[in-house]
Amino acid sequence: MACPYLEYRDADEAHSFDTERAYCTAVDAFVQPMRADICNDRYDLHHETDCEFYREAEGL
Amino acid sequence: MSYQSFLDGDPAIVTAALTGGIHGKEANPNLPETPEEIGEAAAACREAGASVVHVHAREDDGERSFSTERFQEIDDEIRARAPDLVIQHSTGATGAPDEKRLQPLRTDPAPEMASLDMGPVNRYHHLTSENTRATVDTLYDEMAEREIKPELELFNGGQVTETYQLLERRDLADPVHATLIFGSGSLTRPTPENFLALIHDLPEGATFNTLGFGPHQLPFATMGLLFGGHVRVGLEDNVYYRRGELAQSNAQLVERVVSVAETLGRPVATPDEARDVLNLG
Repeated sequence: MACPYLEYRDADEAHSFDTERAYCTAVDAFVQPMRADICNDRYDLHHETDCEFYREAEGL
Repeated sequence: MSYQSFLDGDPAIVTAALTGGIHGKEANPNLPETPEEIGEAAAACREAGASVVHVHAREDDGERSFSTERFQEIDDEIRARAPDLVIQHSTGATGAPDEKRLQPLRTDPAPEMASLDMGPVNRYHHLTSENTRATVDTLYDEMAEREIKPELELFNGGQVTETYQLLERRDLADPVHATLIFGSGSLTRPTPENFLALIHDLPEGATFNTLGFGPHQLPFATMGLLFGGHVRVGLEDNVYYRRGELAQSNAQLVERVVSVAETLGRPVATPDEARDVLNLG
């Protein structure tokens, strides 16, 4: 299951893209593409254990 | 390789690392992600003096792709614009299984080169790109089967030791070609003393690429040129041209390092000269 803080957006105040990209609402920023693999729990990656943004937002 | 290679005027191979697998257009909007953008960037780098392009693949939303088909699309775009470039595919990954990492090796034709990450690297706060010896062997064996030259990526000095151990396990063709990586985190600390120690610790006859992340890109490329090595530059490793100023393109970074080589009197290799140096094909 994808991270609850993950959204796909095509713009914020500083950026504008042709395609929607991974955006973290926990830190209010577009995330690096490699980090998007964590957001989406791809392969053996899990946002609950591997993402410091999620863990800090959840107080873990 | 040594200062004598510089004095002898041995040609320097410039590798352009166009895209990478970590950051994307959120870091620099000029970073190429689509196959067409990567093809155009490769051709511009060829024009600027690069002979090798290091290739990662992305999905339409910028996220990582390992698929053979996506790498094929990229290679087709590159070859349509710069048919003599040496294409080097990445096999790097964090968290992805070996079967995914083998996919970039299966294009038709196979890439002439592919990267082989020689050990672990910490990422963010909770992650490690493991690159176990078993993974290294699996990737290497398919490269050998498909006659792909491995570019050994050495993230720190311990991975020079791993290189010697790989040479005990596998029969690599000469020359061993290693990229020495300098920067923060798990990377070798970027000091001239560490650079000198590493280049003298490589296996006999090895060639080396110098890769400095971020602000270390140009100074370490310059050291590489002076000590008979080869250089890697590009937006994968450094999104800035100078402090506070984003690079306009990969070609801009290639042009700058070629200018340094020319100023120092070190000739820059054509793709065919690069093939001779690296014993490709």
